[in-house]
Amino acid sequence: MDFSLSEERKMLQETIARFFENHYDNINKHHINGNLPNGFDNNLWQESADLGIISALVSPNFGGLGGTGEDISIVFELIGKSLCVEPFLSTAVLSNTVLTSIPNPKSNLISKIIEGNLLISFAHSEMNSRYEESHIETKAEFKNDKWLINGDKSFVLNGDSSDQVIVTARIEGNVNDRNGIGIFLLDNKEINKRSYNTIDGYRAAELKFDNSSGELLARDHHALKCIIKANSSGALALSAEALGIMQICFDMTLDYLKTRKQFGKSVGSFQAIQHRMVDMMLEIEQVRSAVMLASSTYQSDETLRDKHISAAKNLVGRVGKLVAEETIQMHGGIAMTWEYSAAHYAKRLIMIDHLMGDSDYHRDRFKVLNRI
Amino acid sequence: MNFEYSEKEKVFRDDVKKWLKETLPSTLSEKVKKYQRLNREDYEIFMKNLNDRGWLAWHWPTEYGGTGWSAIEKHIFEEEIINASAPRIVPFGVNMLGPVLIEFGTEEQKKYYLPRILNNEDWWAQGYSEPGAGSDLASLKTRAIDHGDHYIVNGQKTWTTLGQYANKIFCLVKTDINSKPQSGISFLLIDMDTPGIEVKPIVTLDGEHEVNEVWFTDVKVPKKNLVGKENEGWTCAKYLLTFERTGIAGVPYSKSALNLLKIISKKSFKNGKPLIEDPVFSSEIAELEIDLLAMEIFNLRIVSQASEGKAPGMESSLLKIKGTLVRQRTTELLRKALGPQALPYLPEQFDEGWNDMPIGPDYAGPIAKQYFNMRKISIYGGSNEIQKNIVAKASFGL
Repeated sequence: MDFSLSEERKMLQETIARFFENHYDNINKHHINGNLPNGFDNNLWQESADLGIISALVSPNFGGLGGTGEDISIVFELIGKSLCVEPFLSTAVLSNTVLTSIPNPKSNLISKIIEGNLLISFAHSEMNSRYEESHIETKAEFKNDKWLINGDKSFVLNGDSSDQVIVTARIEGNVNDRNGIGIFLLDNKEINKRSYNTIDGYRAAELKFDNSSGELLARDHHALKCIIKANSSGALALSAEALGIMQICFDMTLDYLKTRKQFGKSVGSFQAIQHRMVDMMLEIEQVRSAVMLASSTYQSDETLRDKHISAAKNLVGRVGKLVAEETIQMHGGIAMTWEYSAAHYAKRLIMIDHLMGDSDYHRDRFKVLNRI
Repeated sequence: MNFEYSEKEKVFRDDVKKWLKETLPSTLSEKVKKYQRLNREDYEIFMKNLNDRGWLAWHWPTEYGGTGWSAIEKHIFEEEIINASAPRIVPFGVNMLGPVLIEFGTEEQKKYYLPRILNNEDWWAQGYSEPGAGSDLASLKTRAIDHGDHYIVNGQKTWTTLGQYANKIFCLVKTDINSKPQSGISFLLIDMDTPGIEVKPIVTLDGEHEVNEVWFTDVKVPKKNLVGKENEGWTCAKYLLTFERTGIAGVPYSKSALNLLKIISKKSFKNGKPLIEDPVFSSEIAELEIDLLAMEIFNLRIVSQASEGKAPGMESSLLKIKGTLVRQRTTELLRKALGPQALPYLPEQFDEGWNDMPIGPDYAGPIAKQYFNMRKISIYGGSNEIQKNIVAKASFGL
């Protein structure tokens, strides 16, 4: 067994770490970029493409230099540490996963993504869905040689500024049927949208389709498989992102406990506080281990992949809550302020449990996959 | 044992309910229900109405304008104003300073300040915490130096709630720096208009401005503004901190949050079924309700002890710990119940008169924000860690 990263990956990690440290040198960057017209910094996105960060998330089969579970984890742990808001998750993970997993992969689009010249959002969630892979009310019908989409998609990450959007829609059957699903590629310019920032400062949009025409990418069991894989890739990326955030939260808290003095001594000198820090530390090590396991089996068969990703994301939900709440509580009032970055790390950590399946969803999915 | 309210108490509850229904403007209760930002007038309207009815200083002794209510009646009153979605009674003047002045103030101070509190002529702020004195309040550093007929105050206070509206602030200041931390502290009343005072907003993690920093640079404070004896301000501070703490558990807030949680769990779906039918989630709701049921009785036990004249001691610390945890748990389950609907955040939706379409159901908007905002309740007013220290010290003999 070898738990260390290869030399190549270590170099990748160092390069990307430096990139984020330089561009996200303080918490204001998170707010400033999140409030730009597109909800992120276009120049930074282009630079990250030039540096090969997007390429690191794409398989060599499609012109990338990575795309393994390890690569996703390395990049997203660093994204977590920086609270970077650029569209890595929406375009480089979710849409990339769909475009490379459909029966006829879209190599030309992926090349453009790697170059930083194309943004594609993945629109699967709906207002009444709760992370389910097959809850799809949006309808698709074939009429006059065209696929027409009607309905609404919700919480679409970077859905306001992406060039194109991948939409899951129901061709036939009832809302929760696992058959009769299609995946379509639409030009996003024509779509009615309402954009907003999420409470943790990331851009999303509500999309409304009114006879919007799209290209069919996959249908039926191919489509379902792609949705499941996209959600799993997103859940893995978010788990790694959460791990990065947890480490920052822990380090900031420990640092504060050493410097903050009350009753004539450092707050960290109280045993009751030390024990809580140990609890937090060991839970973070559990998360690190689960993320490593999920990364290592990302390319295995689907059941094992999804089982380990669900294990990681469930743990991330539970430990994320512990770490976010303890970080605020052990800091005290200071971590309730906008000025102090720990507050924003804590918010992101909590809201990660509202994306790509919460701890309950992944516990349930783990239970089901365990029976197979 | 009898857990029923008496007939008299039931009638009292109905009276309070009826009065609130008649006098509380519906536009105001709507704002409170929607968690919209309240302005100075919103608070003042309600307090003025209370004062007109003689209910503002409900726990002061009757000779100073109090109501003479029993502890149970006070408890009922607190429950009903929360149930009616009234703004909270800004506590700094009427609930905090008032009792301190009645106990320690000079006749002149009482005569001048108490009516002004009742008539809302003064908006008081609390000057206790400092950047270096939070849990360890007694280590405060703001200094008041004796200059004959006045003091010169220098230092900084923080977490001053609604200080942006205040025209007066009561402060704990150090008048003798050579003594032990808890001695050498004095309780001073300071006019916010005095030259040398600066109020700076603190924006909290939810983007809101409710708390402030207050800076004092060579602020001249007349000696007649000293409450109690010089260097004995800690006695006033402690008296204030233990006064009327029976509402501390926030039971009515948790109850209304639990109701909302049940409504949302019926309207939200998981795998095609209402969330309330999910065995795990409904178990979590049930356990929350069980905690709350027990805590309500716990709270009433302490209230009824108080009505027998026993001062609540460390029990109020226990209530504060459990009360904040339960209340935080309600906000957590509400957030979880929403699922992805908790993500969108429209800051403008908390402005008065906002009439746009919400994103998702109308109840969703404030929930994640409330979850984050409520992290404060286990920190302020003596953090839960400090409450545990108080209980351990008071009861274990270790």
